[in-house]
Amino acid sequence: MNEAASAPAPRTPAPGGGEAILEIDNVFKHFGGIRAVNGASFSVPKGSITALIGPNGAGKTTLFNIVTGFYRPDSGAILYEGESIFGKHPYAIARRGMVRTFQITKALSAMPVIDNMMLAAPHQPGESLVGLLAKRRANSRREEEVAERAQELLDTFNLTKKQDDYAGTLSGGQRKLLELARALMAEPRTVLLDEPMAGINPTLGRRLLDHMHDLRDNKDVTFVFIEHDMEVVMNHSDEVVVMAQGETIVKGLPEDVRADQRVIDAYLGGGGSRDEPGPEARVERPDRSDRGGGGGVTEEEA
Amino acid sequence: MDAVLLGVSFDFLTAWGFWIGVGVLAGIYGIFTLGLQLNVGFTGILNFGQAGFMAIGAYSAVILVVDVGIPFFLALPLSMLITVIVGLLIGLPAVRLRADYLAIATIAFSEVIRITVQNARGLTGGNQGTISLELDNGRFFNETWQDISRWMTDNLFDPIGLSGNEFLNLPLLVVVWGVLIILTFALARLVRSPWGRVLRAVREDEDAARALGKNAFFYKLQSLSIAALLGGIAGWFLVLAQGSVSQEAFEPIWTFIGYAILVLGGLASFPGVLFGSFIFWAIYEGLRAMELPLSSDKDAALRFVFVGLILILLMAFRPQGAMGKKEEMVLGE
Repeated sequence: MNEAASAPAPRTPAPGGGEAILEIDNVFKHFGGIRAVNGASFSVPKGSITALIGPNGAGKTTLFNIVTGFYRPDSGAILYEGESIFGKHPYAIARRGMVRTFQITKALSAMPVIDNMMLAAPHQPGESLVGLLAKRRANSRREEEVAERAQELLDTFNLTKKQDDYAGTLSGGQRKLLELARALMAEPRTVLLDEPMAGINPTLGRRLLDHMHDLRDNKDVTFVFIEHDMEVVMNHSDEVVVMAQGETIVKGLPEDVRADQRVIDAYLGGGGSRDEPGPEARVERPDRSDRGGGGGVTEEEA
Repeated sequence: MDAVLLGVSFDFLTAWGFWIGVGVLAGIYGIFTLGLQLNVGFTGILNFGQAGFMAIGAYSAVILVVDVGIPFFLALPLSMLITVIVGLLIGLPAVRLRADYLAIATIAFSEVIRITVQNARGLTGGNQGTISLELDNGRFFNETWQDISRWMTDNLFDPIGLSGNEFLNLPLLVVVWGVLIILTFALARLVRSPWGRVLRAVREDEDAARALGKNAFFYKLQSLSIAALLGGIAGWFLVLAQGSVSQEAFEPIWTFIGYAILVLGGLASFPGVLFGSFIFWAIYEGLRAMELPLSSDKDAALRFVFVGLILILLMAFRPQGAMGKKEEMVLGE
């Protein structure tokens, strides 16, 4: 079923010159009779900010779920840093340095904000029972480092005052920020953000974008984000990938994508009026029993 | 001097032997429920098979001592190992299931164990219980314990006047509660550790934990195995308290009693388990003081009705239980 994934593929230079950190090649995923992802292919250059856009039902979130291991694709190849991650578990993919946020935030409400943050830190020996007993000093040293890093990030995202509160008491926008800050705690090399700007006030949104640019410029972190705010997409991404009906139809620089007739058609439904949704604006209702790596991601919009 | 007032005898209030017995039961089912607290309160997995793990602990220890002839203190760690292995074997397929299916799978496991115990007469003594096994082999599981118990009475309790028939079970009470308190402290520390932090994340949202690189399945498996171990330890003490056990002690109702203790004491609190177990057994056994013109089985059923009433009132006025945290009530959301 997945011949392409097992074959080692050479690292392909991404358009724009940078080395590709994430390569998605001809990925298919269907739920019952609905082809949610229908041959999606694109690569993401290392240290870039790539926007993934498309009308509702285009398959964007489904593709995120596939790339991060929450859904198992039917076929295709997914390479991360040159190695196949096809069918790998979500936790294994996260450990490789690719973390994500969710469209519907998954702030852990029954845990304090600081615990949400500290949870995400990798390399904590105290997370195993053996490490907890045998490496007590290393464990407490790591806890101190992690707590310090968590404070810095909470400060960046204006959440310091809330650090001891249960995350359930945060507003929708604050939860979004917490989820992003938590993803950054995981020391990622690649971050996948699903509609990061939704529900955040403009000031904090600006701060989030600044932080994203800062991490890209100074730490070579790669970002892929799904976003509906075209102003953000056009001004803050290096490349834009457009999906429609489960396929990646266009990839290129923001200004090129904006002018592309195929993109206009995809959004407006093949030259239809602005008031009419396109014929391809399908609503995906994935079968929850088909959860690939065992995950169950609520998918309101793909 | 019987003080009978409105059909209630208060003699029991000063009956030391009675209260020590209640305390032993509260301690045993406290250890039993610590496992449920770890599973339900901190991992979000509905383990309805705790009585099955208790049976594994009890029977494996008895069989090792009585049938195989292994010394008591070697049999205990071996029986711990057996219980943990059984926990892992059950957990491997079961923790992959969604919460409600996991509940069904664990209760089925518990019943498979009980019915096997009932029918494997040669190995377990069948319906007659472990006593028939002991009589057949001429070896008794609690011989070593009796020696320790006598030593404790002679050296610790007799000098302060706590000896005689009424205080026969005092050493067991002290040991059971000692173990319960140590385990409570250890578990409370464990859930505050980075390991416990992952567990609490899994409790609320496995996908969030997975997306941060945590293997939720492995943590749930560990949680179930530790609960199995605690159930097994409770099983040993049950044999010591009762002298022998049979399959009735591992009917599903005993798991539900564990849940009643859990709800009384409150979710996500280990000290709550101690409190809940004490309150449950004090009420349940204390209600024996009622002298109603009913047959004994109806009287016993009525005591459960009272416990049920208390649980309903608790749910209405304090759903988080005595010591539970409202903010950490995750199950069922």
